[in-house]
Formats: sequence, structure tokens, C-alpha cells
Amino acid sequence: MNTTADRTVRLPDSPHNKRIARGQRLVDLIAYLLLMFATALGFSVALGGVVLLLATPASAAQSAETGFAEMKPADARQGTLLFRGDQVPSFAVPLLATEVDIQVSGPLAHTRVVQTFSNPSDAWYEGIYVFPLPENAAVNRLRMRIGQRVIEAEVQERAQAQATYRKARETGQRAALLEQERPNMFTTSVANIGPREQIVIELEYRQTLDYRQVEGTGRYSLRFPMVVGPRYIPGAGADDEEVGAVAAGASVLDALRISPPVVRPDEHLLNPVRIRVSLDAGVPIAEVRSPFHAVQVIRDGEQRRKITLSEGNTPANRDFELTWTLAAGSAPAATLFAEPGEDGRQYALLTLMPPAPFTTTARLPREVIFVIDTSGSMEGESIVQAREALAMALRRLDPADRFNVIEFNSDSRALFDSAQAASDGNIHHAVRWVERLRANGGTEMAGALKKALTGDASSDRVRQVIFLTDGAVGNEQELFALIQQRLGASRLFTVGIGSAPNSHFMRKAAETGRGSFTYIGKVDEVKARMSELFSRLEAPMLKNIEVRWPAGSTVEAWPAHIPDLYLGEPVVIAAALDIAVGKIEISGDAGDFRWTSTVSLGDANAGTGIGSLWARQKIDALMDRLNSGTPEDEVRAAVIPLAIEHQLMSRYTSFVAVDRTPARPADAALDGGAMPTKLPHGWNYEAVFGELPRGATDSRWHLLLGGIALLLSLALWVTLRRQPTNPSLAR
Amino acid sequence: MNTNDFCHDRGYAEFLGVECAWPANANLGTPRAELVRRHTPARRLAAIAALTLAVTACWHLGQAGYIQAKAWFAQVLIADAWSRTLEGEREARPWPWADTWPVARLRVPGRHAEAYVLAGASGRTIAFGPGYMFGTALPGERGNSVIGAHRDTHFAFLQWVRNGDLIELDTQGGTTVRYRVSNTEVVDKSDTRVLAQGSRTRELTLITCYPFNALKAGGPLRYVVTAREA
Repeated sequence: MNTTADRTVRLPDSPHNKRIARGQRLVDLIAYLLLMFATALGFSVALGGVVLLLATPASAAQSAETGFAEMKPADARQGTLLFRGDQVPSFAVPLLATEVDIQVSGPLAHTRVVQTFSNPSDAWYEGIYVFPLPENAAVNRLRMRIGQRVIEAEVQERAQAQATYRKARETGQRAALLEQERPNMFTTSVANIGPREQIVIELEYRQTLDYRQVEGTGRYSLRFPMVVGPRYIPGAGADDEEVGAVAAGASVLDALRISPPVVRPDEHLLNPVRIRVSLDAGVPIAEVRSPFHAVQVIRDGEQRRKITLSEGNTPANRDFELTWTLAAGSAPAATLFAEPGEDGRQYALLTLMPPAPFTTTARLPREVIFVIDTSGSMEGESIVQAREALAMALRRLDPADRFNVIEFNSDSRALFDSAQAASDGNIHHAVRWVERLRANGGTEMAGALKKALTGDASSDRVRQVIFLTDGAVGNEQELFALIQQRLGASRLFTVGIGSAPNSHFMRKAAETGRGSFTYIGKVDEVKARMSELFSRLEAPMLKNIEVRWPAGSTVEAWPAHIPDLYLGEPVVIAAALDIAVGKIEISGDAGDFRWTSTVSLGDANAGTGIGSLWARQKIDALMDRLNSGTPEDEVRAAVIPLAIEHQLMSRYTSFVAVDRTPARPADAALDGGAMPTKLPHGWNYEAVFGELPRGATDSRWHLLLGGIALLLSLALWVTLRRQPTNPSLAR
Repeated sequence: MNTNDFCHDRGYAEFLGVECAWPANANLGTPRAELVRRHTPARRLAAIAALTLAVTACWHLGQAGYIQAKAWFAQVLIADAWSRTLEGEREARPWPWADTWPVARLRVPGRHAEAYVLAGASGRTIAFGPGYMFGTALPGERGNSVIGAHRDTHFAFLQWVRNGDLIELDTQGGTTVRYRVSNTEVVDKSDTRVLAQGSRTRELTLITCYPFNALKAGGPLRYVVTAREA
């Protein structure tokens, strides 16, 4: 045996020796890297194998027998027609076409949606179609067309309509049923679609268009929703997330449930939608824009345009939006439409734009309370947007203003005990505080709202509460009631944050809070949207608006209470009057003077569908009473006769059409009636639907990863111990 | 001095005896010390990797253990709150900072399963026990009561529940309602129809994630067990 001294004999450093040493070092390094790569590869293969092995039953359960690519209902990004059958699994069949015809006259739109759907198979089917419509759509007509025959649907109480439909379905008659799931979400069911047959459903609705005045020019916008996509996906931090928002009244006929598996139609079969808009603004138009679709605009004089999609049709995967700006100086100060109703009353729709001059008067000092949602669901992009929006808002405060910031998750915290002057020091402090906010925890919104809405409402200040949230809450009704009770002289402005905020909640909360709703979808929109909101907030508003109707008339006007107006917002009133002449006088406090405007009923333009719009407004107002604690039975009793009289869709009334001649022979089977099946929904763009609670933890995942890591660590350790100090010397 | 003395290591396994006849530098090999030094960084890296893996393993196992421990330990604390509830205390909190309270006790005698149901079905709550979903009928009352829980903790037993199985539910009032399982199905998480409040009878809807043996949480499917009053 040799001594260590022998082994450590060093040869004189020669360039040759050095080169060899370097070469060996390089080889060693490469070998080591290869080993590491192989280990990592082995690790991932093993991991993948285990995951695959354990997950097999899941994927096996999901693959459909048909060989179609399976469509998970959650993948649905658009309204889809589903057919239900006895023998075959349910699968989605595309509409052959959806045609949308929109006629705009001034502030009104009349839309006809034609859904043509076909049954490509040799069996009898029932089709169920879930689709979105604008939130304020007054659906007042439904027709079913089979070949040349047209069957006009009638409005019945929902339960009765369901019974009528069910009976027709069982006796083999063709029938159609249109139900309202949410104010902006509808279901069409069509029974007994014969083999290789087409049934056409036509529905019509009316709506008033969104109108804003931006920098002195009027801008209308029209939206036709098609997207039924983004919805809440419990993301990271879901352990602390409020999920399971349940809106009441989700009950639907069990018989109409559709069962999975649902099959993904081929790409080229996706619902094509054709949209045509015939636009008559009533005044000269400056510009027409469609931000999301390429359109072809044909000019027809100063006031009229015809708009069609450049590509002819589009897959229903994106909301269609159209905005048009009126030529400078031509924005009407008031528009009045009237229609005589069948009951002898006169229905009127009044849109009034307060004139701009009062914007130059001194602005009232404000007390602004910012409320920021820092719950777990805001984690990621959303909290970044919210922080940015808030910091920007803070910097825009005037030294005369007062402010406070409240953050809430599982509980709420305020920056100051009470609102403080917006001095540079305070603003700086607040901005720093906001930058440190992190999203985590629950969504206890009620406490924060209470805090924000409590405070001295001194008359010399405008009190504004600006609420930044994604609205991921389940107790909407409770919160609406709270806002209603506590509001006082404050105004609540909601700012929707994130890719899929619960805008149903936020719109309604702003409405209840007599403010407005702003939606920020992307970080780069923060600046533009917040500026818009702020120019609105900073402008002195028109308060205490009063409407004086012609003397001696009996009037039912909605909304009963007109909200305060901010810069660029019009007053929209729907009324039913018992006389057709006279003057309507509207007045409001504009800072230091009282603004008054008079419109003569005799100057009204003849409009159609005004009665429907009025009734829809009234139904909305009645439904809102649910928030203030009115029992549902009472509301239902008030809504049903009104909806039936005006032939309107509502939560309690549905359209039903039955073809008298039986179509399906008694011995031919229809889709399994008793089969409990499911319909995927939560499809609408605004994610008005809740979700079922999450029911799993990552504990197994951790267990697996932990186990694998432990094994590898042990293996590595053992190898290290066994390995002699120098393998090459041991040989 | 012997020429061989000049040789580097005659006891060396690779010593062929010729090195000394021609002790060229190239054939002298590298002194051992240098070899050892050169291998040290690699060995150290491997040791660090082993250690990192061990720490990762501990962390993951800890996470898994924490989730399970939280689920089972909370039930012990809730048992106490439940007995206070039965004595008439309203919203008895199992621990002082809890934002939930027991509303019922669920038993499935055939599967030896038992759990206290908490108020609220948020992720926070169901980490501790099955959660009753606000907005649905209170457990034991007329209407559809919806309860959600994790498939790998409190509701793991749901995978073995079959139609006709008996479910017993003790209410806050001290009564016991007996249900029979009438249906089991798999639905998408967006399918809120199972939450429908149409019925006039007592119904119980138990919801958990599906598939039961999936590794990760967050899948879109839910397993729904419906039971009607027996």
C-alpha cells in the first residue's frame, strides 16, 4: 500500500498537463450534465406514468363511445344546441344558422333573432338551446315556423307554459318553449323535431340603447351578446375563495335536463351568426364603429347606415358591439317617442340630455370613499389592475376633497379612522398603503359596505363610494338590501375588475346605489376607463331631478325614482299616461342653479314597442322589490298579469307554441322523457351564474409529489454513500 | 535514487510497470488529490440535490398531512360547538376566530361515515367540514338542502354510496331526519340546476368533486348525490 504522500505527488505544471486536466474536467462536466438530464428525464417519465396510471379512470370516463371529440360542458364558449335522445348520448348539434336583424331608430332598437335548427339524424329529437340576450331586452314575440306554417306563441305563466309544452311533447306535437333563466339568459326548447327536419324559431325583442355624451357629442352603443364564455375558474388560492354563488330561482323543469356526455361539433360546424343592422339615428351620423368584428357600412344619406358583417357570418364566440357617434352639434337635447296602447293609455319614452353649460360651474367638493376588494379571488392580474386604478384615482383628487380607503377580504380595514383631506401628504401615504395591498382571504363584502356607507352626509359635499371588486359573492340579494338601507345621500360606483367579473351584481349594485358601473377588462384599459369614470365623477351632477307631468293626468312612470345624473348621462323615463297632449317639465339642481327643460307631448315621434319597454321597466322595478324584502308571492302576483297583458317574457312567464297537428307517430320513440339529464350552463358572458362548490383538495397531489421526492432523495443519498471517493481509481 | 522511486504509485491498480521505463508525463495519470478535488463539486451538487429533494418531500408531505389533519382535527372542535348548539346557543363558533358554525350532523350508518356540517360552502369552510350552501333550504327543512365537501376528506365515502342508502341528519333543533339516496350523477360545476329549490319535500343534495381518484383539485366535474326524505 502506498502512502498518501505518494499519491499527492505533483508534477511540474506543464502546458500539456494542464490541457489534459482541462479535458478531463470537461468530460466530467458533460458526464455530470448527462446524468442530471437522465435523472430528470427518468423523474418526469416516472411522474407522468404515475399520474397517467392514477388518472386513467377519469379520462376513460370522459371519452365518449361515439368517437367524437368529447366536449366538456365547461369548454363551451358559446350558445349551443343540444339534442337529447334515447339510444345515443346527447351531443351538440350546431344551429344551421342564427340570423339577427336589428332595426335602430333613434334610441330604440328592434331585434329579430331567427334560430334555424335542424335534426340531421333519423330519430325524433328534442332540442334545447341556451343563449344570451341583452340585459334590458323586452322579449315580446315568438314564432315557430315549420315549412310554410307559422305558429304564433303565446305568453303563459311559467308553470302552465311548461305543462302545455310537456303535454304537446308527449302527444307527439311539435312545440316550442322560451323561458327566462336570468334577465339576460334564455332557453328555447323545441320538441319533436322530425328526422331530417328543420324548425325555425323567431323571437323579437325591443330595447333602449345605451347613450352617453362624450366631449359634447352623443354616442350610442348597441351590443348583441353571443359569448357565453369566461366564467369563474377557481384559480390559485382557491382555498380561501368564495365559490358557490347561487342566485335564487334557478329552478327549471327537470325533464329538460340534458345529460353528458356532450360532443364537440367540428370546428366548421360552429354556430354561424349573421348580423344585419339597419341604422336610422334620426340625426346625422359622424362615425360608426364595430370594435370586435369587421363590418361593412353602407351609407344611405346623412342619418342612415346599413351594417353587415364583412365575412357574411361569424362564429358565435364574441359579443357584437356597434357604436355610432352623432355629428357634432346634432345630438338631440331630448327625444320623445309615444305609442297609443290597447288599454287606451299613451305610452311614452323620454330621453333627455341635460345641456352641457352647467359643467363649467364650480365643482362641489367631494368626499370619496374607495373600497378595494383584496379577497383571494382578486389574486393575480385583478389585484394589479385594482391597485393601479386606485392609485390613479387617488392622484386625481382635489385638495378640497376628502377621502378614505377601505380594503376588505375576510374582514375590512380602513386607511384612516375617518375621511381625511386630500393633502399631498395624505395622498402619498395612501398610495404607498395601496401598493402594499395583497389579495388573500374571503369576501366579506357586507362589513366593508357598511363601513363605506356610514359617515356624515354633509350637504355641502358630494359623497361618493367607489367600489373596486370582481363581485365574486353569493349573497347578492343581501348586499342589495344593505345598499338600499344604508345609502342615504351617498352614491355607489362599482368598478368591475378582472376577466369575468360578476357584472350582474355590479350593475345592479350601482343601480341600487344610484351610481354607475365601469368595467375594466385589461390592465391597459385602466387609464382610459378610470379617466372616463373620473371625468363623470368630477363633473357636478344634476341632483333631485323632478318630473312634472301635464296637469290633470294620471301617470305611471318608471323608474319611479330618477337617479342623480353625471356628466354625459341622459335621463330615460318610460311612462303610461291617460292623455296625449300637454307638457312635461323636468328640473334638477345643477350646482348653483336649477335647470329646467320642457318637452311637449304633442311633438312626440310615433314609436312602436314603447308599451313593451314600459312594461319591461315596470317588471324590473317590481323584481327589484325582492331586494327590499317583499315576499316573492306578492311580486309574482304583480308581474304575471302585467307580463301577460303586454305579452312579455319574465321570470314568471314563458312563451309557448304548439303545432296542433300531431307529428310524431305514437310508436316512434322520442328522447327519453324520464332520463334525468343535464344542461350545461353558465354560458353567458357576464358569468351571472354561480358554480357548484369545489370538492377536492390537493392533498393527494402533495402526497404523491412528496413520496416521489422522498424516494429520489433516498436513492440519491444511497448512491452517494456507496460511490467510492474516486470511481476511476477503484477500477 | 531508484528510477521506480520516481514513479508515481507502484501499488496503483493500473500500474503496468512500464511507466517507469518511460515515465512520460502523459502516462503518469493525475495525482489522486487533484482527482478528489475535481469530483467534489459534483458530489456536493448531488448532496444538495438530495437535500433539496428531501426538503421538497417534507414540504409536500407536510402539506398533505396539514390538509388531512385540519379536516379531522376541526371536526373534534366542531363536535364541542355542536353540543353547545344543541343546548340552544346560536351560531356556536368552533374556535374563536371561526367564521362558520355547525348547522347539522350528517351520518351514513351503512358507510360508517359521520361529519358535522358547517354553515357556508366556501373553500375556506369546507376545509374543516362539509359546508351547507347558503341560499338553499336549511338542512332538515323542506326544500333542497345542498351540502358540499371534499372528495378526499369528509365526502370520500360518497363514492361507495348507492341508491337506497340511508342518510341520517341531526338538525339544530335536535330532531333527526332520515333520507334515502335516490340518485347519483356527475355534472359540470356550472350546472347549478342541482341547486334548484322547486320541491316541497325534504331533499338533500351532496356535492363533491369528481373523479374521486383524481390527483389535483380544480377539475370541472362534480359528483352529486340526491336523497329524499324516507
